[in-house]
Amino acid sequence: MTITNEQPSGTVHETSLRALTNEEFVARYGADRFTTSLLNTKSTYAVQNMATAFRRQAFSPIVSLVYDFSCVIVGPREVDYAMGAISDGLPTFIGAMTEAVRNTVEEYGYDDLREGDVLVGNDPYRIGGHVNDLCFIKPIFVDDTIVSFVAMKVHQLDFGGVTPGGFSASKRSTYEDGLVLPPMLMWSQGKAVRQTFSLLFDNTRWAELILPDLFATQTQLGFGERMILEIIDRYGLEPYLGSIRYATDASAERMAEAITELPDGDYTGSSVVDADGVDDTETYAIKVALRVRGSKIEADLSGTSRQARTGINCTFIDAKNAIGCGLSMLLSPGIAFTSGNWRNIDVVCPPGSIVSAMPPDGAVTMYFYATASLLSAVSNALADALGHRAVGGDLGRNVHNTVGVRPDGSQWSTVGAFGGEQGPWGASEVGDGENYIISILANISSLGFEPIEASVPVVALSNEAVIDSGGPGYHRGGSAMSRDSLWLTDSTHFPCPVTLKGSGGFGVNGGKAGITGAAWTFAPTVASIAERQQLLSHSAETLTSSDPIAGVLHPDTKLQDGNDGKYFYFGSRPMWDLPAGSVLRSMTNGGGGWGDPFTREEQRVLADVRNGYVSIVGAARDYGVVVVGDPATDPEGLTVDVDATVRLREQRC
Amino acid sequence: MMFSVDVGGTFTDVVAVSGSDIRTVKVSTDYSAIYDAVVGGAKELGLENGTIFNHASTHGLNAVITRKLPKIGVLATVGHRDTLDHGSVFRPMKALLDPNWRREFGDARRPLVERYLRRTIHERIKADGSVLFELDEDQARAEINVLAKCNVEGVAITLMNSYVNDTHELRLRELVREILGDIPVSISSEVSPIAHEYARASTTTIDACMKILFSDYIENLESGLSNAGFNGALNFADCAATLVPADRALIQPFRIVFAGPAAGTVASADFGRMIGEQDLLCSDVGGTSCDISLVTNGAPYLSTTFELEHDLVVSALANDVTSVGAGGGSIVQIGSSGELQVGPDSAGSTPGPACYGKGGTQPTTTDTCLLAGIIEPAWFADGRIALDIDKSREAFEALDTDFTYQERVRYAYELGLHNLAEAMTNVAIKNGIDPREYSLMAYGAAGPMLLPATLDLVHAKSVIVPPHPGLFSALGLLAAEQVYTSNRGAYTFLVPENAAKIDAIYADMEQALLESLDTDREVTIVRSLDARLAGQEFDMPFIEVPDGLVDADAIAAIIRNFHDTYFARTGSRFEAFPVEGVTYRIQATVASEKVEYPQLPARGAQPLSPVRNTTIQLITDTPVQVPVYNRLDLCAGDRIEGPAIVSEKLSTTHITAGQRVDVGLHGELVITSAASRGEQK
Repeated sequence: MTITNEQPSGTVHETSLRALTNEEFVARYGADRFTTSLLNTKSTYAVQNMATAFRRQAFSPIVSLVYDFSCVIVGPREVDYAMGAISDGLPTFIGAMTEAVRNTVEEYGYDDLREGDVLVGNDPYRIGGHVNDLCFIKPIFVDDTIVSFVAMKVHQLDFGGVTPGGFSASKRSTYEDGLVLPPMLMWSQGKAVRQTFSLLFDNTRWAELILPDLFATQTQLGFGERMILEIIDRYGLEPYLGSIRYATDASAERMAEAITELPDGDYTGSSVVDADGVDDTETYAIKVALRVRGSKIEADLSGTSRQARTGINCTFIDAKNAIGCGLSMLLSPGIAFTSGNWRNIDVVCPPGSIVSAMPPDGAVTMYFYATASLLSAVSNALADALGHRAVGGDLGRNVHNTVGVRPDGSQWSTVGAFGGEQGPWGASEVGDGENYIISILANISSLGFEPIEASVPVVALSNEAVIDSGGPGYHRGGSAMSRDSLWLTDSTHFPCPVTLKGSGGFGVNGGKAGITGAAWTFAPTVASIAERQQLLSHSAETLTSSDPIAGVLHPDTKLQDGNDGKYFYFGSRPMWDLPAGSVLRSMTNGGGGWGDPFTREEQRVLADVRNGYVSIVGAARDYGVVVVGDPATDPEGLTVDVDATVRLREQRC
Repeated sequence: MMFSVDVGGTFTDVVAVSGSDIRTVKVSTDYSAIYDAVVGGAKELGLENGTIFNHASTHGLNAVITRKLPKIGVLATVGHRDTLDHGSVFRPMKALLDPNWRREFGDARRPLVERYLRRTIHERIKADGSVLFELDEDQARAEINVLAKCNVEGVAITLMNSYVNDTHELRLRELVREILGDIPVSISSEVSPIAHEYARASTTTIDACMKILFSDYIENLESGLSNAGFNGALNFADCAATLVPADRALIQPFRIVFAGPAAGTVASADFGRMIGEQDLLCSDVGGTSCDISLVTNGAPYLSTTFELEHDLVVSALANDVTSVGAGGGSIVQIGSSGELQVGPDSAGSTPGPACYGKGGTQPTTTDTCLLAGIIEPAWFADGRIALDIDKSREAFEALDTDFTYQERVRYAYELGLHNLAEAMTNVAIKNGIDPREYSLMAYGAAGPMLLPATLDLVHAKSVIVPPHPGLFSALGLLAAEQVYTSNRGAYTFLVPENAAKIDAIYADMEQALLESLDTDREVTIVRSLDARLAGQEFDMPFIEVPDGLVDADAIAAIIRNFHDTYFARTGSRFEAFPVEGVTYRIQATVASEKVEYPQLPARGAQPLSPVRNTTIQLITDTPVQVPVYNRLDLCAGDRIEGPAIVSEKLSTTHITAGQRVDVGLHGELVITSAASRGEQK
């Protein structure tokens, strides 16, 4: 299938926005330059205020703590559902909203919508994402005509299916995944549609948290509607619609300029997904060919592996989103995010692949795995062409979920808390990589471990950067994160790390890759944390007696070993039951380095040693810098042996 | 005589009040020698008869933002060395698609404390307060010795779950003192005994830095003031603009990291009460930013936490002040799509606006107002700053755009106003208030020249320009209460069985606070509670809690208060849900002396007449002659129809065509329009 984006309405302007005279500007956008950008700011404020208020009202921790939702304003059919204003939130939600609103509204029936209606839908193959992400759409009317939509995509704690909470890499079809809602009304002319609520709560868990959140959603959609109507009332409809078109035209123009800066040519890149949830016989490859011609790019995903047998796939809508986000962040970092970012990008996407899965067999529960890997493939394709503007690879993907039962019989769970959810970014020309952040496609919040420990029988034993793990470079990649958790009662784990077979975050512009992560468990008798009054070390001696979950590890020492290691497969057990007192260790990949590490200033390498990011051995091996002293007991007493460093650095040349 | 000083980013304002006599001085701020400006300014006003000296400054914030911080060590739980590097992970809108974005406080950018000075201690407490790892004192001593070798000036101790069990933190502090001597030490179970390890760690780290920063400063200030003849009481304003005596300020210095803007809100609330305006949208337009806050029913909004930078959290009571990059120094420039932009970048005090002639080449809002004729060069800042209007013109002419010269100035003016109006509207919306019921209190050096023109954009009831608008925040410090606070985190469901436990929390806190106060003045204690619905993460702060014994009836009353407050703030009511107490708070207010604003006489036989005329141009279709009145000439009950300028020593009020000014009894200018009076359409 081919997805072509030429919105809104295929308009291609010859004259740049900058060069427009005031008269031309007014003729095109229905208001002067000043009013137009003002209206866009107002819309952005409106949608951001919705998001802020929603966070405070929400009951589900996934909303109030994790911020797993986004709000946008989308134009009517006449501007082809152009998205001109967004809240802070997840690029992976935001970039798919134009399709989500268009497909939902068109299928339901544009002319059948009435004032006060709220449409809902969650079918990933219609709107992207996974079934937990409900898209709510409110049409806004002026004089019986739809003039805009305000929409929210909100992750629900549960949406049915075989796994509480939904996250699992082992689901084999949409039927196991959860409840699918085709486009339907949640509120009809302001009144809750009982059948829809019943359908929803007859099929999902934890209704007591989800129900009040639904009402909070309706409140915020109404609030967004009021704000937009005020804008239209005061400035007029034409300038309002003009401001949406202007915002998308402006980002389309910036993208076009950025693409033009790339030399014409074909750039290819790839990445791998380790395995699906059935067995580890198949490694999935994602391939992308970027064909740059003038101000346009065609992204061809031909050659990408067939769709996986369990839900680590994504739909073509999310593939389109990942490509656009990847190109935006690489070619025009910090660009205003509108549907216009995609105008100069065409995507060719073979149906039935891991990045364009088809129902019912191509489940997409963990769709963010395929999208993140696709983003890596795009970065990889452009790494050489971008040169100093390239960005190193990031932490990889490992969302870990756990359930268990308290003595009183009540169930507890943790969602995305003890795997490799947070970790490093790669380095770039601005400097070393972040140590503790998440994939650029996501943007969700983490408020630490104390609140989790207060309600779940777990102790977060450690959560620290790993020494010598960031990809060496003139700018160092962010460090891998290693996280040990002690489970005080029996617990059942659903690990799903899928980016541990290859190298860690890739290096760019002469930088090296970060380390590759892994995951291990330690039996209570091995860990004996309380008895020994000690954390577990990272030494071979400790790891030897571990029971690995995943990673390419030496068969005896269980240390990471990219050369002679054996792949340990997370799906070797359908779930990991750990007895009370067990320890889980999850380690992310290290971020990729940028630039030649042997040119990193000696003083910065010395500071890395002082700060425990690089060891004395690592400084010599990876950077050619000889540091003398003991960082553990006398960090400020460290010195660089200048002569030895010169010799070492010369040897390499 | 009472004194107050507000150390701002550009200027330090000093105010002396004796009875109804208010005197003011404005001097340039030099962050490397703030103390000189403060004492110097106060000396100009004569310190001998001073009874009170109230001090607010943003220099704590400035030290954090510029990372001119003292060298401290952090002691954390083993395995948690990097908590300070973590934060909430969330990215702001501008960073959604920016792989080059970095968190300012992260190790990859500018950490508050370098990683090697963050040492981990072998100990671990579980969430229920039980001990998993005993504190290993030998290991702790070794780590503290490393800090000793690094010559740290202070230590922050922040251990996992110490909000439930503080024994390890207390013991560690003893060990630090044993090895490092009597240096400043902050422990998280005292500074902020609330769950969420990152917020507690960042607050405690800021606290330790402020202890060191303010120790010398307060000592110098005390001796400087005393040498100048002052022997009254020295108080520091905190982020909620409540006052703390100097000696107590050093016990919880994180409270005073960022005090100036809150003082303006308190000044507004106090002045508003006096003139019968209980609902105020307060807007302080300075050189670099506009600080916006709300007063509802005579009281400022309080938050329980605020950020010094994105995600750099301090858990302290603070007036909810929203700061936007819109001030006199906001830079006018052309964006990438050819659009005109005003702010958020600012020219600051160096180089400052182009017209300052200090090397600034980009036009700013001050240049716009100068070219438009709102600012009269001869009278600007009491003649202390000379303005070069040619430089303003050159800066506008140099912009790379097809807009005509007049369009540039006019759009820059209108966009500047719109940015202010947008920011104020945003604050109103965020807090769910209707601006038509609120008056806009306009102060700060640039407030009166810009804000009246936003009246109909914001849809406010009126714009009020108080006396001494340029120094209004400093005056606010003389209206502030002396307040002592204490709080404790304890997740407890509000059920009758927990009444005794909650009673004990309040009784302990009150007893400890009263003992430490040691005052013979009147003390009022108010209890409150942050609570949430079962299952909810966000706490609803400041639920009223009755005095006296907490029993089953009191619990029922608190639950009622909770649901009422929840409904008032969110529009929803969920009475079926159990309510869980999260943070228990007490606030003790000690009676103190306050400012009184003088009253103006009514007009006698002499009619009001302008002192001169000036020309407003470029922002109007054709140049307009406008009368200029001297504020000192105004009497209570005077009425001026716009367009007009009211000029005073440190400020200019610009009243636009169609607006009307009524002069109030205390000298306030109440500006209305036909629309705001409901007379139009």
